[in-house]
Amino acid sequence: MPILEIKNAELSIDNKKILKRLSLNVNEGETHAIMGPNGSGKSTLSYMLAGRDGYELDNGSITFDNIDLTQLSPDERSNLGLFLAFQYPVELPGVSSTNFLREIFNSRKKHLGEIELSHLDFIKHLRKVAENLSIKDEMLKRYVNFGFSGGEKKRFEILQMALLNPKISVLDETDSGLDVDALKIVSEGVNNLKNKNNAVVVITHYQRLLDYIKPDIVHIMSDGKIIKSGDADLALYVEKNGYSEILNEKN
Amino acid sequence: MKKTRNDQFFSNLEKFVNKVYPNQPQRQPYLNLKSWPTPRDEAWKFSRLGKLARKNILPLNLENQQNFNINKLIKDSISLVFVNGKFEKKLSDKLLSKIVIEEVQIEDFKEIINKFDNLSVKNHPTLNSTLSCSQKFFKIKFKHDSKFYKPIEIFNLGGTENTSIHPFIFIDLGKNTDVKVFQHYSTYAELLAPFEIINLSENSNLEIIKIYDDKINSHNLSLTLSVIKGEANLRSFALIKGGEFTRSEMHTLLEGENSKADINGIYLSSGNQHHDLTSCVYHNVPNCKSSQIVKGVLGEKSTAVFQGKVRVEKLAQKTEAKQMSRAIMLSDKAVSNSKPELEIYADDVICGHGATVGELDEDQIFYLSSRGISKQKAKVILIDAFLNEMISLSISDKFHNIIYNETKTKINKLLANEHE
Ligand SMILES: Nc1ncnc2c1ncn2[C@@H]1O[C@H](COP(=O)(O)OP(=O)(O)O)[C@@H](O)[C@H]1O
Ligand SMILES: [Mg+2]
Repeated sequence: MPILEIKNAELSIDNKKILKRLSLNVNEGETHAIMGPNGSGKSTLSYMLAGRDGYELDNGSITFDNIDLTQLSPDERSNLGLFLAFQYPVELPGVSSTNFLREIFNSRKKHLGEIELSHLDFIKHLRKVAENLSIKDEMLKRYVNFGFSGGEKKRFEILQMALLNPKISVLDETDSGLDVDALKIVSEGVNNLKNKNNAVVVITHYQRLLDYIKPDIVHIMSDGKIIKSGDADLALYVEKNGYSEILNEKN
Repeated sequence: MKKTRNDQFFSNLEKFVNKVYPNQPQRQPYLNLKSWPTPRDEAWKFSRLGKLARKNILPLNLENQQNFNINKLIKDSISLVFVNGKFEKKLSDKLLSKIVIEEVQIEDFKEIINKFDNLSVKNHPTLNSTLSCSQKFFKIKFKHDSKFYKPIEIFNLGGTENTSIHPFIFIDLGKNTDVKVFQHYSTYAELLAPFEIINLSENSNLEIIKIYDDKINSHNLSLTLSVIKGEANLRSFALIKGGEFTRSEMHTLLEGENSKADINGIYLSSGNQHHDLTSCVYHNVPNCKSSQIVKGVLGEKSTAVFQGKVRVEKLAQKTEAKQMSRAIMLSDKAVSNSKPELEIYADDVICGHGATVGELDEDQIFYLSSRGISKQKAKVILIDAFLNEMISLSISDKFHNIIYNETKTKINKLLANEHE
């Protein structure tokens, strides 16, 4: 069953074409990896999916569970079960992490038609999920992402993913800035959430993440489109030979 | 020309001292609107009084007949109620033995006023009008060596259209005292001109929270002069949300070593409101600290001003003075002015200042929305965060929620109006 279908997506920013007839299909149960040089449009793709202002399609379509995504606001997309782990998570000084997490958790529950948790039950649940990601209580008392280290920010993104239990997650360079131990913890966190009804798209530069999160399909993105797709071996090939050969082959 | 005004102030004061008080209880109220500052006056450039001065306002001289609901914010506080600028004993709570209310002698505060050798104070319309119009001068004295656990809540009520009311309150803390005061300004007066003097004796602590919430057509020209002795600590916080025109002006004199003054505030401005936080802190002795931190949220066609001045005298080495203002604009028709002023004559000082004005951060709104929070709700969360930071920084933890709730209805109104 397809969860996400992107067809011939074209998008420009400041009259500069960034995405050029990009197509991508993701089915339930699949893990996809998108690799590609800096500036090829990977983050733009993730913002476009999440519905950021200014990232509207010029042409093409996106459907999610057969719903046209392009007409929906970011919060509506999130409530349907789309999650983006930001490459650069945003600091929210003054917003308590625990309150923020409770707010998004209960809002998602409400949309799923499930019962919201009381404050106490939520705290218990949060503790358990946070512990699995080696997130200390102390961090949850701070403001959202405020003064977090790079690694803490990335773990906090995965914590949100775990609480929201999305249908599809796009992880934009979640591995960058993580040491090996943190990488393991984060990957395990993602793998634990994976099941046959949801899907994950990881955007990364490095094969090393894919040792932990095993992709079914690997895409190479360059200059706003996907130029090659293959199985996990494609990532190994890129790791060994770089992008240049694939890029040349295409031209 | 400035000199003339200064002279005029003193002649008013003299007239009032010599002729009127205390031998002649039937003074003639005097409200000379024509002598008020013009926009050419630097201190009043952003807050213009012309429209108000052209109105036909008469000092209200009415015995109160009405009954008022006194809505305390703190359950066990001691209320002191002023109606039409006059103390209403029967509406107020009974005082503790260590708090004394007395009618003051002019000599008591003439000396303090003279300490503020500053033209902008002496030209202040409230100083002039309240000294000549006020019928009685109240001093609330907190006796030395006492910690007052119950906060005092002072209510300013009453007033009618086309009239002015002129409360005068002198808050006097004895040595080694600890006092918390809430000041409510909730009048219907065309002009409310509260004049307050705060005297902190050695090693005293005052936390004073002023809530400006006058009715929509009111003008409030609140003026507070504070003198702080050694090791004493003034923590002042103003929340401005009401009235058509509200200016909270404070002059704070640090005249004892190791003393501290925090003159912070929040303004929440909607419709055609004009809000002004003006503060001058004078560091006259070494080793004192001050902060003037102001945050505001402006919607619709509202305007706001922050004027913060720090003067550090040559003697006042090791001064730490911090100044900051931040405004969030919800509408492109709103206007926010910020005028920081540092006058530093000492060399060993740490002074920081900064001012920012901007809309809510689009990246932050997007981040919250991407987690399923609606844009409207995201704005509420971000404004709350903006204000919460300020509230935590400025007031005791135990009052945090009370003040936060005082901002809540106004914020919801601001956002609802922007949304339309
Ligand atoms: N807000 C923006 N304004 C202008 N150009 C942008 C903006 N965001 C991205 N770009 C441009 O879009 C291209 C793709 O960027 P990005 O999606 O961040 O690539 P990647 O994530 O693959 O490194 C780059 O050329 C970048 O400079
Ligand atoms: Mg990127």
